[in-house]
Amino acid sequence: MRMRPWSIRTAAAFTAAIVSLSLGALVARGAGEPVKNPDTFVELQFGDVTSLDPDLAYDIYSAEPIWPNVYETLIIYSGSSLDKFSPMLATEVPSLQNGLISKDGMTYTFPLRQGVRFHDGSVMTPDDVVYSFRRFLLQDQAGGPAWLLLSPLLGVDSTRDKQGKIQVTFDQVQRAVYAQGNSVVFHLKRPFAPFLTIMAAWGGVMPRKWAAAHNDWDGGAATWQKYNNPKTEDRYQFDHMNGTGPFMLEQWDRQNKEVILVRNDHYWRQPARLRRVIIRSVTELAARRLQLQQGDADLIVASLNEQSQLRGLPNTVMQTKLLQIAVQTLQFNFKINTDGNPDVGSGKLDGQGIPSDFFADIHVRRGFAYAFDYAQNLSSAYAGQGILPHGPIVQGLLGYDPSVPTYATSRDKAIAEFKEAQGGKLWDTGFKFTVPYTAGNTARQVGATILRDDVQALNPKFQLSFRPVPASALNEILFSHKGTMYFLGWFADYPDPHDFAQPFLSANGYFPVRGGYNNPEADRLIDQAVATADPAKRAAIYKQLSMIAYNDLPYLFLVQPTTYYTMRSWVHGWYYNPIFPGQYYYTLYKQ
Amino acid sequence: MSRFIARRLLLLPFVALGVTALIFSLLQLLTPAMRASLYITDPKQLNALPDIIRKYHLDQPVYVQYWEWLRQVLHGDLGWSETAREPVLTAIRGYFPATFELALYSFACILVLGIWLGTLSAVQKDKIVDHLSRSTSISGASLPTFVWGLVLLMVFYGHFGWFPPGRLGLDADLFVRSPQFHPYTGLLTIDALLNGQWWLLWDALRHLVLPVATLTYFITATLVRITRSSMLETLRADYVRTAEAKGLPRDVVVDKHARRNALIPVITLAGLLFVGLLSGVVITETVFNWPGIGRWGVTASQQLDIPAVTGFALIFAGMLVLGNLCADVLYAVVDPRIRLQ
Repeated sequence: MRMRPWSIRTAAAFTAAIVSLSLGALVARGAGEPVKNPDTFVELQFGDVTSLDPDLAYDIYSAEPIWPNVYETLIIYSGSSLDKFSPMLATEVPSLQNGLISKDGMTYTFPLRQGVRFHDGSVMTPDDVVYSFRRFLLQDQAGGPAWLLLSPLLGVDSTRDKQGKIQVTFDQVQRAVYAQGNSVVFHLKRPFAPFLTIMAAWGGVMPRKWAAAHNDWDGGAATWQKYNNPKTEDRYQFDHMNGTGPFMLEQWDRQNKEVILVRNDHYWRQPARLRRVIIRSVTELAARRLQLQQGDADLIVASLNEQSQLRGLPNTVMQTKLLQIAVQTLQFNFKINTDGNPDVGSGKLDGQGIPSDFFADIHVRRGFAYAFDYAQNLSSAYAGQGILPHGPIVQGLLGYDPSVPTYATSRDKAIAEFKEAQGGKLWDTGFKFTVPYTAGNTARQVGATILRDDVQALNPKFQLSFRPVPASALNEILFSHKGTMYFLGWFADYPDPHDFAQPFLSANGYFPVRGGYNNPEADRLIDQAVATADPAKRAAIYKQLSMIAYNDLPYLFLVQPTTYYTMRSWVHGWYYNPIFPGQYYYTLYKQ
Repeated sequence: MSRFIARRLLLLPFVALGVTALIFSLLQLLTPAMRASLYITDPKQLNALPDIIRKYHLDQPVYVQYWEWLRQVLHGDLGWSETAREPVLTAIRGYFPATFELALYSFACILVLGIWLGTLSAVQKDKIVDHLSRSTSISGASLPTFVWGLVLLMVFYGHFGWFPPGRLGLDADLFVRSPQFHPYTGLLTIDALLNGQWWLLWDALRHLVLPVATLTYFITATLVRITRSSMLETLRADYVRTAEAKGLPRDVVVDKHARRNALIPVITLAGLLFVGLLSGVVITETVFNWPGIGRWGVTASQQLDIPAVTGFALIFAGMLVLGNLCADVLYAVVDPRIRLQ
C-alpha cells in the first residue's frame, strides 16, 4: 500500500498548525496574566469529603467546607490565636469577669446574636441552638465527634455502653443544654477548662424545623433514641447544608469529588468578597501543580515530600513552616498480645523473639530512646518540615515548655541501658521482633529504617525488622493489642493541652488503652489540670505531666510537623490558624 | 443466531452470581475488624470498632451477609458505597458515562489507527514504513501510561495551556450544573450537541484530547501487531495471489480481499480491548483527573468497600459476557462462512 499524497499533505498541515499555535501560545503567555476567574476560588487537595453533617463529620476534608464556612459556632478563635476567642453567633465570649461563666466553673451562658438568618431564610432562635447541641450529643455516631462534648457535659464518652445499650437519658441532656431567654446555657458535669476551646470549633448551628421536616430528629424526648448512632448516609444533612455562614452549599458532586459553595448574600456580616468556592479532590500532584501554574487553581494542598516540586513556580506564593498542633510518635506496647502474633518471633527472651512484657522494662525503652536518631528522622522522613517536640504538650499549646528535657541520641547511653535491661540478660541474648507500619506512609517507613539501623548497629544480636501493612490491618493489630512498637500520630481535636495529656497519659486514654501504660499520678494530675481555671496553674501542671512522660517514657515523641500551602500570588486575605481544617474563605479575595 | 444469543444471555445471571459469590467469599477471609476499617478515617476512632462491627453486621456468617446482599440486589439495590458516598448503582450510573465517553473516542482512534498502521506495516513489510509504524506503536506500549500521560499534560497543558485535565473547564462545569443544561446521556460531547451548545462541545473535546491520545498511543501497539501478522498470513494465501495474478490493482486486493479476512482475530481483540477500556483505565483517569469508573473501582478495592467491589464486579461480569457476545456476532457479519450454532 502506498502512502496517499493527501494523507502526507494533511499530516504536514497539522504539524504546521501545531507549531504556529504553539508559538502563538508562547507569545500570549509572555504578555502578562490577569486574574483568572476573579470571583471564584478553586482549591485543589487530595482528600475526599465523607459527610457534610456538622455533627457526624470527623475528618479534615469533610470539616473544611463545614466549619466555619457554612456552619458557624457560638464563638470562634480570634485570627491565628488558639486561646483567644471572638463572638460569632453569640454576642459575648463567656468569662468569669463578665459573669457568663459561673464562679464554680460549671455553667456557661452564651447570649445569642439577634437577626441571624439561616441559608433557607429562617431566623436563628435559641431553640435552634439548643437543638443543634442536643443533636450533636445524642446522634453520637460510633467513631464520631460526639464524645468531645459528651465528656464535659455528661461525664461519659459515649451515649452507649460497651454492649451498645443506651446509657444516658434525655433529662440529663436537657439539664446540660437549655435556653434561658435569649441565651443558651451549658451546665457541665465537672469544671472543664478547655470547654470554650471546644465550643469555638464544634457545634455548628442548624434550624430545628428544617431538620425535622427532612426526617431528622424533631428535638423530642420520645424520639431521640431512634436517631442515635445513625448511618452517615441516612441523614438529610449528609449532603444538604443549612447554616448561617458566609457560604452556602451549591452542590456536592461526588463523582467529580468537589464541593461547590456559593456566597451567602444575606450573611449577618458583610458578605464575602468571593462569589463561589470550589474545593476539588485531585489525587495526582502533577495535575494539581499544572492547574495552579495555569491559574485554573488558586491554592493547592500537597504532602510534605512534594514541597520541592512546588517551590519556585512563577506567580505563586508558598506559605511554609506552618506549625501543626500535632505530634508523631513511636509507641511501646507494655503488654503485647503474643497469641498468633507473627511480629514477636518466639514470644520469649531467647534471641528469637520478645516476651509480652518486653517493653514494660524502662531500660529497654530508654535503650531505644537513646539509640534513635531524631535529627535524621526529621530531615529524612519529614524533609526537615517540623520541630523536635518536648513531650506530649506541643508548641502552641498552653503548658508547652522547651525546658522539658528530651532524649538525645547517644550510642553510649543506649548501650548502657540495654546492658541493664531484662535483668542484665538482654545484651547477651538479643531480641527479634517486627515493627508494623502503615503501607504507603513513607515517613514511617523511613523512621522504621532508621530505628532498625540504629539498633542493629549497637549489637548484631538485636534483630529488628519492619513490615508494611494496610491501614485496615494496622487497625486490627492495634485493636487486638498485637503491636510491638508502632508509629502513630495525634492531631488536635481542639487546641488545648488536655487533648494531648489525656490520650497519651491517662490510663483510660486512647494510647494507654492500646499500649498498657498506667501511672496513677498522671491520672490525678490530668483531672486536676482540666478542673483548674487559672492558666498559669494549669501550665505548671502540664509541665509536671510532660516530666512524667519524660521519666516513664511510654512513647518517643518524634516530630511536631509543619505544613505548607501553595497559592497564586493574586490570593489575598489568607491567614493560618492551625486548628482550622482548611481555609477560611470569608477573608479571601483575588486581586 | 437468535438461539445462540439467547443462550449466551441466559448464562449471564449465573456468571454474575458466581463472580459475586467468589468476591464476597474472598473478602470474608479478612477479619470483621479489618473490614470495619472502611468506616474509620482516623486511628482515634478505633475505640468504636466493636460498635461499628455490630452496626454493619460484619460479624455475621458469610452466607448470611451474602444472602442479605443478594436480597437487596433482587430488589434493585446494590447497596451503599462508602468510597463513592452514594448508592452503588448511582455511583455506577455516574462514573460509567465518563469512562464510556473516554473509551468510545479512544476505541475509535485505536481501531482506525491500529488497523491502518497494521495493514500498512504488512503491505510494506520490512520497509521503512513498517519499521516506523512498528517502533512507534511498540514504544507506546513500552512507555508506562503515567509517564506518557504526564509528558502530554506538561507539554500541552503546562506549556501551551491547550488541553486541561478534568472533564470540563470552570465555565462549562458551572453551565452543565445549571438548569439550562439537560443531561440526556451523560456523555458530555453528545449532550452538548443535543443542547445545541457548540462552545461546550469544544470544551469537552479539548478535555478529551490528552486522555484519548494517551490511551491510543498505549493500546494501539497490540492491535497493530495482530493486524500486521494476520494481514501477512492472508497476503500469502492462494486467493490473494490469484487476485493479483488476475491483474487486480494492489489497493483493491488489499482493501477488499485481504483485509476483510484478516480482521477476524482483530475483532476478537478489539472486543476485549473495548471491554477492558470500559472496566476502567485507572492510571489515565488518575493522571487526567477523569471522574471514571476505574479510579473508583480501585479506591473501593483498596478501602475494602465490599458493596462497591461486588457491585462493580457484577456489572462488569455482565459487560464481559455481552462484549464477547458482540464479538461472536461480528464474526458472522465479517465472515459469512462462520455460522453461529
